[in-house]
Amino acid sequence: MKYLLKRAGFMVLTLFAVCALTFFLMNIIPGGTAELILKHTLVGLEDSVTEEQLSQISGRYNLDAPLYLQFFSWIKEALLRGDIGTSYVFKKPVLYLLALRLPATIQLAGLSMVIAILAGVSLGIYSALRENKISDHILRIVTLFGVSMPGFWVALLLILIFSLKLKLVPVTGYGSLENLLLPAAALSLHSVAAVMRVTRTSMLETLGQEYIRFAKAKGLPLWKIVSRHALKNTMLPVITVIGFQMGSLLGGSVVIEKIFAWPGIGSLLVDSISARDLPVVQGCVLAIVTMFLLVHFFVDMLYTHLDPRIRYG
Amino acid sequence: MKNKNFPLIILLIILLTCAILTTSGCSSTEESGAKDAVSGMEVNSGSDDASQIEGGSENNTLVLGEMWNIESIDPINGDGTLVCEKAAITETLVGANDDFSLKPGLATSWEQLDENTWEFKLRNNVTFHDGSKMTAEDVNFTLEKVISENAKVASMLKIDSIEIVDNYTLKIKTKEINPILPGVLHYPDTAIISPSSYNENGEFVKPVGTGPYKLESFDEQTRVLTVVKNDNWWGGEVGLDKMILKGIPDPNTRAMAIENGEVDFTVDVPYSETDRIDAIDGINVEKYKTPRVYKLDLNLKHEPLEDVRVRQAMSYAIDRSDIAENVLYNVGEAAAGPFLPTMVWANKSLKPYSQDLEKADELLTAAGWVDTDGDGIRDKDGQPLKFNLMTYSARPGLPPMAEAMAAQLREAGIGIETEVLEMGSIDDRRESGDWDLYLAAYNIAMVPDPEYILTNWYMTNGTDNNAGYSNPKVDSLITEARKITNMSERYKKFNEVEAIAYDEQPMIIVAYYGCAIVKKDYVKGYVFDPTAHDYRINADMHIEK
Repeated sequence: MKYLLKRAGFMVLTLFAVCALTFFLMNIIPGGTAELILKHTLVGLEDSVTEEQLSQISGRYNLDAPLYLQFFSWIKEALLRGDIGTSYVFKKPVLYLLALRLPATIQLAGLSMVIAILAGVSLGIYSALRENKISDHILRIVTLFGVSMPGFWVALLLILIFSLKLKLVPVTGYGSLENLLLPAAALSLHSVAAVMRVTRTSMLETLGQEYIRFAKAKGLPLWKIVSRHALKNTMLPVITVIGFQMGSLLGGSVVIEKIFAWPGIGSLLVDSISARDLPVVQGCVLAIVTMFLLVHFFVDMLYTHLDPRIRYG
Repeated sequence: MKNKNFPLIILLIILLTCAILTTSGCSSTEESGAKDAVSGMEVNSGSDDASQIEGGSENNTLVLGEMWNIESIDPINGDGTLVCEKAAITETLVGANDDFSLKPGLATSWEQLDENTWEFKLRNNVTFHDGSKMTAEDVNFTLEKVISENAKVASMLKIDSIEIVDNYTLKIKTKEINPILPGVLHYPDTAIISPSSYNENGEFVKPVGTGPYKLESFDEQTRVLTVVKNDNWWGGEVGLDKMILKGIPDPNTRAMAIENGEVDFTVDVPYSETDRIDAIDGINVEKYKTPRVYKLDLNLKHEPLEDVRVRQAMSYAIDRSDIAENVLYNVGEAAAGPFLPTMVWANKSLKPYSQDLEKADELLTAAGWVDTDGDGIRDKDGQPLKFNLMTYSARPGLPPMAEAMAAQLREAGIGIETEVLEMGSIDDRRESGDWDLYLAAYNIAMVPDPEYILTNWYMTNGTDNNAGYSNPKVDSLITEARKITNMSERYKKFNEVEAIAYDEQPMIIVAYYGCAIVKKDYVKGYVFDPTAHDYRINADMHIEK
C-alpha cells in the first residue's frame, strides 16, 4: 500500500515534469506561435498574415505574457477546474478533442499490442524450439524484414494486397473491426518482430538451464516443459520489451494514422505541434504519458507475479 | 502452481476487451451522445452511420475523398472553404466567372454610392435550410460575426458599419476606400449563414446556409460529413440526393480508395500516378489550373541577388516547361507573372521565361561571375556563387521541384543546396534574414482582385516582401491603383506593376499550381471552377449509370 502511494506520487511528479518540459520546449522551437496559429497548417493555409492579425491573436490568447505566467495559469486552471485549455485552432475544449481521438488510439494501439504479444511470443517460442532448423532461419529472416521495413511502406503494401487485390477489407474508414485490421497489422509489425526476437533468445537461455534438463530427464513431454517450467522465466525480459513497445505504439502511429485517415491522437499531436496549438499539444502529451505510465506500472506488477524474488517497497 | 500463466492471461484479456469494447462502442451513434455531453454541443445529429456506406453510389449518392482531414464545419472560425466550395452548404453574396470577374451571388447587384459607401441588393427568393427567408438582417448578422471572429477576413473587408435599408438592401461603409470589397465577399469565409447556426449562448452548432446541399450529419469522431439535397434551393434543380465527404489526407490512399470503388470523386492523387489511374477502366483524370503559384523568393539583401542580372540569369536558367512536364506531370503549367493568363486583370503580354543558358551565361559574365577555378561553380573575388534553397513538404510538388531547379541552376554555374524545413523554421529564417532562396506555393486569388497579392509581394513594406524588394515606381503605381474604382483603369496600373516585376525578377514565378480531378465515369455534370481554392462541387453534378 505504501508502495502504491509512493508510486502514485512519482507518477504525478512525472506528469508535472513532462507538462513543464513540453510547455517550455514548445516555446523554444522555431516559429512564432501567433503566426503559426493564423496559418494553421491543419488545412494547408501557408499564406501570409499581417501585423494587425498577429497582434489580435496574441492578445486573444495572452501570448505576449511571460512564459512562466502562461505556464502557471495553465497549471492553475488544470488543477482547480480540471480545465486543460481550449484549442487555439479548433476553438474547442482540449478534453473534448481528446475524448474524440482517444478511443481510436486505444483501439489501434490495443489491437496492435495484442497482435504483437500473440504473434511475437508464439513465433518466438516456436523459433526457439526449432533452433537452427530451416523454419527457425526463415522466421529470423522474416523478423529482420519486419524490423527494417518502414511502416508506411508496409501499410501501402497491405492495402494493395488485402484491399485492392483480395477485396477483403476497405482501404480507409473507421468504426468496424475490418477497418481496424490493416492499420493494426501495419503498426504492430515492428513490435511483433521485436517481441519475437526477445522471446526466442530468452527461451533459448531458459531451455539451457539445469532445471529444464532435469525435467527433460524426467521424461516430461516438451509442451509441458515449455508451458509449465520454461515460459514463466522466459517472460520476464519479454514483458519489459512489451512495455517499451507500448510507448512507441501509442505515440508512433502518426504515419499509419495519416495513411489510413485514422482519427487517432498521433496526427492530432503532430498537426497541433506544427500549428503551435499549445493546449492541444499539452493535452495529447499528458494523455500519452499517462497511458504509458499506467502500462509500466502494470508491467512492474507483473514482474512480482512472475518472479516472486522481485519485491518493491 | 495452477495459475502460473495468470498475469499474462489477465494482460491479454484486458487488452482484448479494451480493443473490442472501444471498437464496438464507436460504431454506434450512442457514443456521440456521450461526446456531446463533454462539450455541450449537438453537432452530431446524424441518425445513420455514414461511414458504413461505401462507394458505389446507389441512390444517387456521391462519396467524395477530400484532400484534408475534415476537422471543422464552422464556416467562420474553421474551414469556410470546405463548407462553401466542397460541401456546397453555404453561398456567398458575390460569385465569380471563370475569368475571375465578379457576378451576382446571393446579392443581385452592388453599387458604390460614394468613396466609402456601398449598397448591396439581395435576392428576395432565398431561403435558409431552416426554412426561414434570407434577409438583410441575416447578412448583417453574418458579416458582423465574420468581422469580430476572423481577423484575416476583417482586415480585407475594412468594414466600418453596416446599415439595413430594407429587407433586401444593405449599405456598407468601409473605414477607407476599398474597391475590393465585393471581391472579398466572394471569399468562402464570408458566406451567409442563418443566426440559427448558433445556439442561445452564441456557440456554433452547425452551418445553416442557403446552398444546394444541406447538412445531414457531421460525425466529429470519424470526420465524415454528410449533406443532402436542398429541395428548396433558389438556384433550381440539385443533381445529387446525397453527398458523403471523407477526409483522406494521403494521396496514395486517395488513389487506392477510388480504384477500390470506395469513393466516386477525389482530387490530387500522386502526380506521378495520374496517367496510370486515367488508364483504368471507369475512372478518368482531368488536370486543371487553380489560383495558386509556385514561386521562388530571392533574398535581395544578399549581395549577388541584389544584382538584377543575376536574378534574370537565374530565371533564364530554369526550364519551367520541363518542370511542369516532368516534376508536376502536367498538373500545373509554366508561369510568367503571378496571375493566371485567364484572369481578367492579368497582364497577358507576359510570356514565361524559357530556358536559355547562353543568355544566363552572358548575364552572369557581365555581372562578373565566371568560373575561374574550374569547379563548375562561378565565382567572383574568391566568393563562389552559391545559395541555399529552402522549402516545405506539405505540398507534394515542392521538394522535387526544388531539386529540379537546383540541378538546372547548377548547369548555369550556380551552386544550390536544398533544404526541406518545417513551416516554423522557415518563418524564423525568413524573419532573421538568414536565407537565400525560398520556394513556396501561394494562393493568388484569396479575393478576385490583383491588389492583395501585388501589395503583399511587391510593395516596399508588403507583408510577404521579406525579400526586401523596393521600387518607388511600383510603390506609387500600387498606391494609385488602390484608390481607382474603375476596374479597367485599375487593372492597367496593376499590369504595369506586373511588367516591372517581370523585368526585375525580384521573385521568380515558376509554375501555376494544378489540381487533378479524379472521378468515376458515372459522375456526370461536373464543371471545374477555376476560382475555387481546390475544387468546387457544383449543383449539376449527378450520378448516371
